[in-house]
Amino acid sequence: MPGRYLKQILKAHRTAYAVFDESLQSLDYDFRNSVFFSEKELGRNFSLWECFPLLAGYEDVVREILQGKLRQYLLEKINHCDDAGKLTYHTILLTAVQDKDYGATRLFCLVSDVTRETALEQSLRQKDYEVRVLRADLLSNGQFLHDSLLGESQPVAKVREFVKKVSQYQATVLLQGESGTGKSLVAKLIHRASPLSSAPFVEINCAAIPDTLMESELFGYEKGAFTNALSSKKGLIEEADKGSLFLDEIGELPLSLQAKLLTFLETQRFRRLGSTIERKANVRLLVASNKELAAAVEQKEFRQDLFFRLNVVTAVLPPLRELGEDILLLAGHFVELLAIDLKKQVTGLTPSLAQKLLSYDWPGNVRELRNALERAVIFCEGKLLDIDDLSLSSIRPVAESGLGNVQIPEDGLAFDDVERAFLEEALNKAGGNQTRAARYLDLSLDTFRYRLKKFKVRPGHPPNKK
Amino acid sequence: MNKPAITLSKKICMLGTFSVGKTSLVRRFVHGLFDDRYLSTIGVQIYEKQLPSIPGRRAENLKLICWDLANIEKLTPAIKNYFRGASAAIVVFDLTRPATFDVKDIHLDAFKQVNPLAGLVFAGNKIDLLPDVSSPPSELADLAGSHSAPLLFTSAKSGAGVAEMFAALGQLLLR
Ligand SMILES: Nc1nc2c(ncn2[C@@H]2O[C@H](COP(=O)(O)OP(=O)(O)OP(=O)(O)O)[C@@H](O)[C@H]2O)c(=O)[nH]1
Ligand SMILES: [Mg+2]
Repeated sequence: MPGRYLKQILKAHRTAYAVFDESLQSLDYDFRNSVFFSEKELGRNFSLWECFPLLAGYEDVVREILQGKLRQYLLEKINHCDDAGKLTYHTILLTAVQDKDYGATRLFCLVSDVTRETALEQSLRQKDYEVRVLRADLLSNGQFLHDSLLGESQPVAKVREFVKKVSQYQATVLLQGESGTGKSLVAKLIHRASPLSSAPFVEINCAAIPDTLMESELFGYEKGAFTNALSSKKGLIEEADKGSLFLDEIGELPLSLQAKLLTFLETQRFRRLGSTIERKANVRLLVASNKELAAAVEQKEFRQDLFFRLNVVTAVLPPLRELGEDILLLAGHFVELLAIDLKKQVTGLTPSLAQKLLSYDWPGNVRELRNALERAVIFCEGKLLDIDDLSLSSIRPVAESGLGNVQIPEDGLAFDDVERAFLEEALNKAGGNQTRAARYLDLSLDTFRYRLKKFKVRPGHPPNKK
Repeated sequence: MNKPAITLSKKICMLGTFSVGKTSLVRRFVHGLFDDRYLSTIGVQIYEKQLPSIPGRRAENLKLICWDLANIEKLTPAIKNYFRGASAAIVVFDLTRPATFDVKDIHLDAFKQVNPLAGLVFAGNKIDLLPDVSSPPSELADLAGSHSAPLLFTSAKSGAGVAEMFAALGQLLLR
């Protein structure tokens, strides 16, 4: 083929070439149609390796091509970035040709510019991957925000430091603090930061389980241990083997079980209900209580020996009202999360609402803040939550919020009766649904159940309104 | 008189799912740069970098030919051609995206089949994004253990652990 046709073909296909002899020294080349070599400073003669340093590692491929064992070899979409940062894509084809005049084999390297074709593929993939990364971000951010300890105040920093330290030891940890201070979250974080993080984290709220079931929940049972034990079941202690067991509201654990738990803590051994076989479990215990356990010991509601055993590494978690400006940080994060969950456009708080939140001594705990914000986000139509959306009166303590004009009878009343009446009314209003009833009273389900139990309200049978 | 140092060229491959930070790690190491923007790699970009010589070890200069591969959607003969002749691979995971921990997606087996003697280094990247109280996922340590590979935690963004990771790689290559 006349040389000028060949030149035109190479140009049309944006292709450069180089030919090498059997000792891999250059014989001929034309780099004009490709930017791939634009900055290369090659003399008149050069070796294959100087021309293509990227072929390091392909020595035997080159040999096989020259020996005729391999017909050709393709390296696709090699990126090339010029000094100005412009990205182009090139395909390199290695093949052998026979030079009849010399009776010798030549290595032929063709470099074609495939930028046009590849750029389209790039933009399609780019979009696909961006969407997939964003989706993963959203998921993990949601999880992360739900599960992380937010705040920059001194008390929160201290808690964080505490988590870091105690996570490295196997010691039992006692977390105290009012309800809604994040005891369960802190327990989870301790577990996650510990060397046991891949082992199970098992949690149970002692106030939420009836006393009669608590023992079998914790220790498990054998088939036939009691009337309904149709098969054997592992207890939570066994489930948590090699991991962490978190007992929330440990102050509510019945005295009889306190003794049994203590024995387990001291021996790491236990028996399932209805079994004579002693089993062993290696469990790190994390416990929490919102009542002062020391006081409970004095009132003989909590065993002193167990208290001593638990009261080794302890922390008192700070309530929201002590966290200063962290309330804004928390509110911001909640709004962000809620907006995702509720598919709303809300992105934050107006400065005036922020100011109000700061100056208004927030009376509730974090959960109550979240609930108030949830209501607000649902009703908010704009991009920022404003004072009107978060009707602050709705979160005032009961005495200030419309119930202000309650009257106490002349001969007084039992406050417990009032609380019981509210619990019953909420259950009644919710048709016996405890989750909904708890929401009417702005309580967590755990707390609600705890109070039902405390006042011996039977949840299954909401009393009819008389 | 000192003998002139020989330069050894060693090819390595960056493996890992899309957007884990393969390109960012190489750019951080080779050019000392980081970009927050994401430009997904198509095909392969090849970087060269002289590794700092290890004092008192050998009079060798080690030149890395680093193949920064795109996410492998489908294992084709052309992809296997990329693997050819590699002395090692850096397998990159995004610590914030557990979905990237699946080595099946990365075609590590195919890589090992092409290069049975190649060493592996595992990199848990984006450590800067992990909250300070959470420990890196232990499943990665197990995974690295099962491939007898060292696991290093890196941030292409802050540069943390990047030099250490390439140093670990250098150790493997000179073995
Ligand atoms: N915060 C943080 N971001 C990082 C880090 N490494 C990479 N990124 C970001 O993550 C995105 C993806 O990084 P790349 O290096 O392009 O990922 P890749 O693995 O090369 O992706 P593909 O080429 O598509 O396979 C970019 O937006 C980077 O800025 C890191 O260590 N920390
Ligand atoms: Mg890339």
